[in-house]
Amino acid sequence: METVLRVKDLTKRYPRRRDKPVMAVDHVSFSVDKNEVVGLLGPNGAGKTTTIKCIAGLIKATSGEIWLNGVEAQRQPKKAMERVAALLEGNRNIYWRLTPRENLEFFAGIQGHQVRKVKAYIDELIELFDLKDKEKTSARMLSRGMQQKLALACALIRQTEILLLDEPTLGLDVETSYELRNVLKEMAARGERTILLSSHDMHVVQDICERVIVINNGRVVVDDRVANLMKLFQVSAYRFELEGHLVKELEMKLKERFPLLALSSTDHRTYIDADLVEGSELYEVLDILKAGNIQVKSIGHKEPNLEEIFLAIVKGELK
Amino acid sequence: MRYLAVFMAQLKIRYIYLKRYYFDTISMIVTMFIIFLLIFYGSMALMGGTPADMGETLEGIVVGFMVWSFALVAYGTLSWGMIEEAQQGTLEQLYMSPLGFGWVTISRVAAHFIINVFTVFIVLLLMMATTGKWLNLDILSLIPLVLLTIAGVYGIGFFMGGLALVFKRVQSALQILQFVLVIFIAAPFGWSPFMRFLPLSLGTRLIGQVMIGEQTLLQLPPGDVLFLVGNSAVYFGLGFLTFKFFENIARDRGLLGHY
Ligand SMILES: Nc1ncnc2c1ncn2[C@@H]1O[C@H](COP(=O)(O)OP(=O)(O)O)[C@@H](O)[C@H]1O
Ligand SMILES: [Mg+2]
Repeated sequence: METVLRVKDLTKRYPRRRDKPVMAVDHVSFSVDKNEVVGLLGPNGAGKTTTIKCIAGLIKATSGEIWLNGVEAQRQPKKAMERVAALLEGNRNIYWRLTPRENLEFFAGIQGHQVRKVKAYIDELIELFDLKDKEKTSARMLSRGMQQKLALACALIRQTEILLLDEPTLGLDVETSYELRNVLKEMAARGERTILLSSHDMHVVQDICERVIVINNGRVVVDDRVANLMKLFQVSAYRFELEGHLVKELEMKLKERFPLLALSSTDHRTYIDADLVEGSELYEVLDILKAGNIQVKSIGHKEPNLEEIFLAIVKGELK
Repeated sequence: MRYLAVFMAQLKIRYIYLKRYYFDTISMIVTMFIIFLLIFYGSMALMGGTPADMGETLEGIVVGFMVWSFALVAYGTLSWGMIEEAQQGTLEQLYMSPLGFGWVTISRVAAHFIINVFTVFIVLLLMMATTGKWLNLDILSLIPLVLLTIAGVYGIGFFMGGLALVFKRVQSALQILQFVLVIFIAAPFGWSPFMRFLPLSLGTRLIGQVMIGEQTLLQLPPGDVLFLVGNSAVYFGLGFLTFKFFENIARDRGLLGHY
């Protein structure tokens, strides 16, 4: 696979006027392959925006390298900007006094595209983002969701290989967030762009991305396929209530297979507490108990809490 | 071609604003004209006389007023314009142009100037009709001369724009400087030999020599024209360099997107 975005040891220490510097990004390294859709996940203040703005040349990195398809962005910023467009967090990113079409034409022009040559693509984007009815309305009059879609379209019209999306669904209500996610999913599925999308919301990343890079305190904590990460989310806490006591042999067998499992007992009961992958591992425990002729009185089950697991990953408790 | 595309985009947006917000355009022209009338009748009342009695002074006021109109837009485009873009969150998008923020800004300034030529022309016609003094409008001499004169103001605009990026709350300083520009234009050139080191001052005088003295650019004293070129180059250059300096600080502190 061809790598189009490679960040190496990116570090950003913000100088502050009367204070000690803030270490926002600390030796972050990762790479993104062509047409891959990667999520940058982390809690508020993790360093997502800083990372993205460094890649986009809007913030001067303290050290590190940023390679955009063979061009080092800090050494050749103009060349780099031919390769990357960004939708930035919290900004409007568009001109409120212009209509969707005028905005699209303007940003195509700013990228150096002749309006004549991008007309067909503008039409296509207006269609794709359902902006047809609002084509002649000032962006200011559009709903928040529409504005965000237009901002995304304005990033797309630049026709860069790499697209950076910083918290694209932040501040949208549930419905518009869902709508925008669908548009992003469709874009991702088309596989025409390399996308780095940041969010503090696991659901958004899970919905759109194939791979996820979790960062916290400016450091990469996990870099894995979303599917693998999701396995962690399928773990649930179980409590088995058993009749009588376990023989030593059975206890060993269980501990061997599930080293983290905890046993406790009262006069007539034994309790097993374990974090198990739903389905497969649960049945394994049951099979072992069945083979040992143990009667299971009840199984208690606690749903996995996404936030808890996410926090656990961030704190380095898992993996 | 790509550079042209950036310029055309900036020109088009100016044209759209001019048309869509024509009420703003008209009120701007009317405001300018009213201020002019106040100065005009005010000074006539002070000196006591008719337009004919005031002669050179009156013509000087018209010329000064024209230069001021250009200077205000030149200054505002970069200073207030920079703040506006930062506030509305489009500055960072402009920064990401592969043609460079410098070119994006120059295109914007040029687009403003072109639109400005038309609005100032209307105000000028109104002023000349009111005063009955028809001045020499030698476009070929005036356009380069006006550009040269306000180039220094662009430098000041860049400086203030850069300051705004880093320090944010500079609005009142911006306003004060706006009136300092009037002093540069209106202060009598003969006051002191140092006047020519100020921005706008020498240029306004040379423009007066074209519009009132009916000279062409080539007939003006070459020493003065050269001095104007040097003066504007220094102000523009210093302004642009300090802007780059502030821009670097802003990029380091991550301030481009905040306002
Ligand atoms: N312009 C700035 N000046 C100083 N510190 C900043 C600035 N921007 C962000 N920070 C700090 O850097 C850290 C990372 O911030 P940020 O990149 O915005 O994180 P995220 O986008 O993941 O929420 C935070 O501690 C934040 O307070
Ligand atoms: Mg952020």
